[in-house]
Amino acid sequence: MSQQVWKLVIVAEEILSKKLTKLIKEAGATGYTVNAAGGEGSRNVRSTGEPSVSHTLSNVKIEVLTGTRELADKITREIEAKYYANFSIITYIYPVEALRDHKF
Amino acid sequence: MTDFLPLFIEQLQSPTLGFLIGGIVVAALGSQLAIPDSIYKFISFFLLMKIGLTGGIAIRNSNFSEIILPALGAVGIGIVIVLISRYTLGKLPGISVPDAVATGGLFGAVSGSTLAAVLPQLDSAKVPYEAWTAALYPFMDIPALVAAIVMASLYISKKTGNTSEKVEIWPIIKESLQSSAVTAMLLGVALGILTKPEPVYESFFNPLSRGFLAVLMIIMGMEAAQRMNELRKVAQWFAIYAFIAPIVHGFLGFGVGLILHKLTGFSIGGSVVLAVIAASSSDISGPPTLRAGIPSANPSAYIGASTAIGTPVAIAICIPLFIGIAEMMLGR
Repeated sequence: MSQQVWKLVIVAEEILSKKLTKLIKEAGATGYTVNAAGGEGSRNVRSTGEPSVSHTLSNVKIEVLTGTRELADKITREIEAKYYANFSIITYIYPVEALRDHKF
Repeated sequence: MTDFLPLFIEQLQSPTLGFLIGGIVVAALGSQLAIPDSIYKFISFFLLMKIGLTGGIAIRNSNFSEIILPALGAVGIGIVIVLISRYTLGKLPGISVPDAVATGGLFGAVSGSTLAAVLPQLDSAKVPYEAWTAALYPFMDIPALVAAIVMASLYISKKTGNTSEKVEIWPIIKESLQSSAVTAMLLGVALGILTKPEPVYESFFNPLSRGFLAVLMIIMGMEAAQRMNELRKVAQWFAIYAFIAPIVHGFLGFGVGLILHKLTGFSIGGSVVLAVIAASSSDISGPPTLRAGIPSANPSAYIGASTAIGTPVAIAICIPLFIGIAEMMLGR
């Protein structure tokens, strides 16, 4: 009862959250999950939890399940073109099995 | 000068400053003390709501036209601050123009916490001011952010030769108005004008505001110490600018206030509020707007400059300085 799908993960600055989820929906994905995220990357140490006056330095992790690799690649390309140059952002992908029958 | 110093020192001993420095010290010592984000959000909402209510009640009981000239002055100051930064900080070696303009935008924008700090100190010092002066906040905040984003975009499009991309001003204004700080204050103003909120104001907002302000000052102090790390990663010019700019901007605001004092009878205390609004730099609503509006500017530079140095200087130096000057002018 499982289905082979792709899981695209985007870790990005929180202020991009709304723009990214809009882009994901418009590209044709059926849904996504957003979590608060923290950690360290090449640009800066970014974490959540400590008192932070503005959320400009917080991160989110967005997960998208796509039925095809093409859709995941399309989303990645659009994100790359728009945001890679100026924002802290990383994307990665892996194949997963979705356990609920669903049209991705 | 002999009149001024004791007044200045008395202001320095205010609880506001003590709590701010306490926050800086515990965070610098690596304390585990943490005040939850949601408490910070509630306190800033509470204080801005209280400021808004005070202003709204004052506007209801006064002549609305009085606010027009000071509001225009606030708009002018907001834009001039960004221009100053563009042509001083932006001309220094190793500083990119977008970084300088974004920093100017943040310093032109207004800090709700600094505004919340100055009003009770004026009350304590018994310096009278028009209660609606707090409502000048968005009149300086929004033009500064818009000016910064427009200036940076013009500079970038000129440099890259790409003139096709127009800067849309309305989304910036909309985003600023929708920010939590400005929304809370404007809602307070509206409720103050349209309803009679005196019972909740007297029993809830007014009595609790000083205690909440003290907690907010600890948070701002801790935040300042943590953002120091950001500031260390960028050119030292940002730290120097962040120290001098609030004082210069404060005098600019105070000067405009005094001109209005001569022309329209705007109070000296009102000039202090205008000076402190000019001296303050945004910590809540400004950074995300600038991050989205000027993506090529380095947020470590402008957030570090504003939160680590700009806000402590505005609260610790500018508030006592201008209240001291006002008391001297009032012949205390």
